[in-house]
Amino acid sequence: MTLLLPILGLLAGLWLGAEILSPGDMLALIQDPAAPLSRLIIAWRLPRVLGAGCVGALLGLGGAVFQGVFRNPLAEPYLLGAAGGAAVGATVALLVPMPVPSGWALPLLAFGGAWAASWAVLGLGGLAGPGSIMALLLAGVAVAAVLGAARSFLMMALSDETVSLQAVLSWTLGGVQTPSWPELGVLGALTLGALLLCRALAHGLDLLGLGETVAASFGLRVPRFVALAVLAGALVVAVSVVWGGLVGFVGLMAPHLARWRHGPGHAGLLPRAAAAGAGLAMLADGVARAVLPPAEIPLGLVTALIGGPFFLFVLWRELRRA
Amino acid sequence: MSVLEANGLRLVRRGAVLLDGISLSLRAGEMVGLIGPNGAGKSTLLRLLAGLAPPDAGGVTLVGQRMEDWTARERAARLGYLPQHFAPHWDWRVSEMLRLGLERALRPVPLPLLAAHFGLGMLMERRWSDLSGGERARVLAAMVLAPDPPVVLADEPEAALDIGQAAALMAQLRGRAVAGAAIVVALHELNLAARWCDRLILLVEGRIELDGTPGEVLVDRTLDEAFGARLERVRMPDGELLVIPTAGLSPG
Repeated sequence: MTLLLPILGLLAGLWLGAEILSPGDMLALIQDPAAPLSRLIIAWRLPRVLGAGCVGALLGLGGAVFQGVFRNPLAEPYLLGAAGGAAVGATVALLVPMPVPSGWALPLLAFGGAWAASWAVLGLGGLAGPGSIMALLLAGVAVAAVLGAARSFLMMALSDETVSLQAVLSWTLGGVQTPSWPELGVLGALTLGALLLCRALAHGLDLLGLGETVAASFGLRVPRFVALAVLAGALVVAVSVVWGGLVGFVGLMAPHLARWRHGPGHAGLLPRAAAAGAGLAMLADGVARAVLPPAEIPLGLVTALIGGPFFLFVLWRELRRA
Repeated sequence: MSVLEANGLRLVRRGAVLLDGISLSLRAGEMVGLIGPNGAGKSTLLRLLAGLAPPDAGGVTLVGQRMEDWTARERAARLGYLPQHFAPHWDWRVSEMLRLGLERALRPVPLPLLAAHFGLGMLMERRWSDLSGGERARVLAAMVLAPDPPVVLADEPEAALDIGQAAALMAQLRGRAVAGAAIVVALHELNLAARWCDRLILLVEGRIELDGTPGEVLVDRTLDEAFGARLERVRMPDGELLVIPTAGLSPG
C-alpha cells in the first residue's frame, strides 16, 4: 500500500501545475509522448516531479532513522534542528566567500550543520532519559530557534542584495528547482545510496527500539551505533536540504504512514518511509505549483499545512498514551 | 564446570563504593538467588556480570574466556539478561520480537518451536500494547532465552508479576538450570528465592555477606540485620524453611 504512494504522487505531480492537465492530456503522455504538450510536460514537469520525489524520499528516510535513533515518534529532521543546522551550513557556504569551490563547500557545510545540530538535540534531550518526548521536543525547539536566529543574522549581516541572498531565502521556505536530467541522475543515485546506507542500520535500529539495556545485551554496541546512525541521518538530511531546502513534516509523516501498515521493523520500514516521503513530496510540490498560477507557493508551506495538524495528532496520541 | 566467574569486582561512582571485593563462581546447572535489601547493589552486580558495564577493578570470565575478549555478538549468544523493567519503544508484533531474540542464537531453533515452548503460539500476530502483564513477561523471557544461553542473569524479573505469573517464570528459569544453564536471579522475595534456588548470595552494601544453600543462609541472623527486620523462621511439614518478617529492628 505504502509502495503505491510514489506512483500516486508521480501522477498527481504530472497532473497538477500552473496548467492542470485533462484526463486526455494525461493519457496522451503515455500514448503519444511526441505530442507538443507531452514533450513539454516530460521535459519540464517530469524532472521537477522526480526531483521532489527524491527530496521527499530522503526526508522520509532521514525521519525514519531519526525516529529510530531518538526512539521517539515525533523526531523529525525539521523539528529537531537537523535541517535547520544544514540550512545554516548552506547559508554560510552561499554567503561567505570560501577558498574552496561552492560545489564542495555547500554539501560539506550542510552536512556539518545537520550533524552538529543533531548531536546538540540528542545531548540536550537525552538529559531527561531516552524516549522523553517533551525533553526532546523542547531541545529541538531551542536548537531550531538558535539556528533560525543564526541564519537570519547571517543573511542580514552578509546581505548585499545579490542573487545568493535570494537563493538562501528560497531555501528557507523549501522548494525544488527543476533539475537537468544529469542533475536528476546524481540526485537519484544519492537517494539510492542513502537508502542502502540507512538499510544497513535497520537491525541496529530494531534492537535500539527494545531499549538500550536489552539492545546492549543482544549484542549492539549502543554508543558506537548511535554515533553512526546520527551521522548517517545527518548525511541524508544534508543531501535533502541541499536539493530541496527546508521542507518540514515530510520526515515526520512518511515513517508514520509506513509504520501504520507495516509495523516498526526497520528493514521494511525504511524503504516504505522513503516511498511514502517521495509520494507526499511529489503531491505537495504539485499543489504548490497549482494553487496560485502562474506563481508557485513554497513547498515547505504546503507540507507544513498538512504536516502541522498531523504532528499535533501524533503529539496528542503520544501524550495520551504516556 | 564454572561458566561464569567474577574475581575481585569493585565499582565506585561519585566517590561511593557500590561494589567491593565481589568474587563468585557459577557452575553449569546451578540456580543462584541474589538477595539483599534495596540499594545493596544487586542490579549493579548483574549489569557487571552481564558485561553491560565495566568494573573499576577485577574481572568477569564467561565460559572460560574474559568478558572483554568476547565480541558483543558472541557474548549475546552466550548470555541472556532479563531486565527489571522492559518497555519497548515501538508497538512490535510478538513474532517480530521473538525473531529479534532468536537472531542472537548460534543455532537458532524454528520460530514456531520457540513460540510453542513459551506458550506464545496463539499470540504471534498480537502487538505488544495488546498483551497482558503475564503475556509480556513470557514474551520477554522467550526473547532473552531464545538462543538457549549457557548463562542467564535475571534482575527481579518477578517485580511486576502476580504470584502465579512469578511462579511460572521461576519454573521456566529452573527448567533452564535443569537443562544445564547457570542462572543468577536477583529477588526481593526471600521465600521465592529459597524455594527455587540451589544457592543464595546475600549482598549488603556492595559486599557478599553470605553465600550458601538456602538452608544455611535463611537461618543466619545476618539476614535480620541486613534487612533491618526481625525474621521468624517456620519449618514446614515438608522440611522447607519459611521466613516471615515480624517486626522492624529498632535503629542502633
